Amino acid sequence: MLSSSHRAIILLFTVVISCLFSFEVLAHGVDEKTRYFLQNNTGVQFFPFIYIGAKHMVTGYDHLLFLAGVIFFLYKSRDILLYVSMFTLGHSVTLLLGVWQDIQVNAYLIDAIIGLSVVYKGFDNLGGFQRTLGFSPNPKAAVLIFGLFHGFGLATKLQEFQLPQEGIVANLIAFNLGVELGQFAALTVIVLAISFWRKHHTFTLFSTTSNTLLMSAGFMLIGFQLTGYFTN
Amino acid sequence: MQHTLPSKTLLKSTIIAIVLAGIVLVSFILPAEYNIDPTGVGAKLGLTALATATPAVSIDTVTKQEQSTDIIEVIVPAGRGVEYKFAIAKFKKMTYSWKTNGESLFFDLHGEPEGDTTGYYESYAIATLAKMEGSYTTPFAGVHGWYWKNTSNNPVVVQLTVSGEYQVMGLKQ
Repeated sequence: MLSSSHRAIILLFTVVISCLFSFEVLAHGVDEKTRYFLQNNTGVQFFPFIYIGAKHMVTGYDHLLFLAGVIFFLYKSRDILLYVSMFTLGHSVTLLLGVWQDIQVNAYLIDAIIGLSVVYKGFDNLGGFQRTLGFSPNPKAAVLIFGLFHGFGLATKLQEFQLPQEGIVANLIAFNLGVELGQFAALTVIVLAISFWRKHHTFTLFSTTSNTLLMSAGFMLIGFQLTGYFTN
Repeated sequence: MQHTLPSKTLLKSTIIAIVLAGIVLVSFILPAEYNIDPTGVGAKLGLTALATATPAVSIDTVTKQEQSTDIIEVIVPAGRGVEYKFAIAKFKKMTYSWKTNGESLFFDLHGEPEGDTTGYYESYAIATLAKMEGSYTTPFAGVHGWYWKNTSNNPVVVQLTVSGEYQVMGLKQ
């Protein structure tokens, strides 16, 4: 039988390793083939765009970390649905508006803010705001506001491709739809995993560790993106 | 259910989060992503190679290459053949000389056109010798170099000196 400190170390190690792995594998967001496809195909490409959107979300560790933080302490389906809807509303607005109106935002800065959203949620889950400010800022509003930034993040990824104007609205809607499908798929797995875990006594034991690691991953994202901003 | 941590634990958690992020960033992420490696850990683990990786040699960039000279040692293992190649643009001259420690090797000096997928190659010299000097001008842009075969029971070291406008691609076993 392992002592709890041993298990904590193993858990920490696993999380760090998996973080590193995903950094290397997914750091570039959209792969080369997708890039060629997007640049060589004009007109409405409904299903390909759904697929690209879904893939981006499922493999987008920054979005997933934030969502995992958001639903960490939510156990009622109604709450989960409500919070996820706030997030969806937020990122859909800026994704559609950003690409459609061609609003240029620096991708590094946006991704650093997305990192900040992860730190925020981890800190909030630890009761950090309650402790330091004496109150926790409205969590629904926070999810909505950070959702807006996540949407800009998604928009900057699409803008890199300089999509042809032809059929852009339909393609964007398809991409957004794909993002929601991908988010739904990823959330199902996260919610299931956390729900099972919550029944186990290690959940309370590790909820502090988990949210500390969540914060740490957020700090890594910030450092990673800000370094990119200052060196490019 | 969610609870509020005591101030001390909260501070501890926050500090651990920042320190851990700092360590992972400085040791692994920054070296691998940007080739920024203040601790040297990234280079030791070979992570900086990820940041400095460039696409496969393009002959276009070779045309901007300047005249250079390289002295290269190629070890041909016993009973094996190896290739040593250079990327060279069209109509460029390479002057070379190579020698072994006395052991004769079968060799084939040849070029493969850039982008060719049929396996076509053109040989400029084929013989079994212990040394050779000469030069050739590339008839096409592509990958040019030597194939040496060692039929003896001992490894043979080839000392190769080349000069011209090229990019070293190195050993292919």
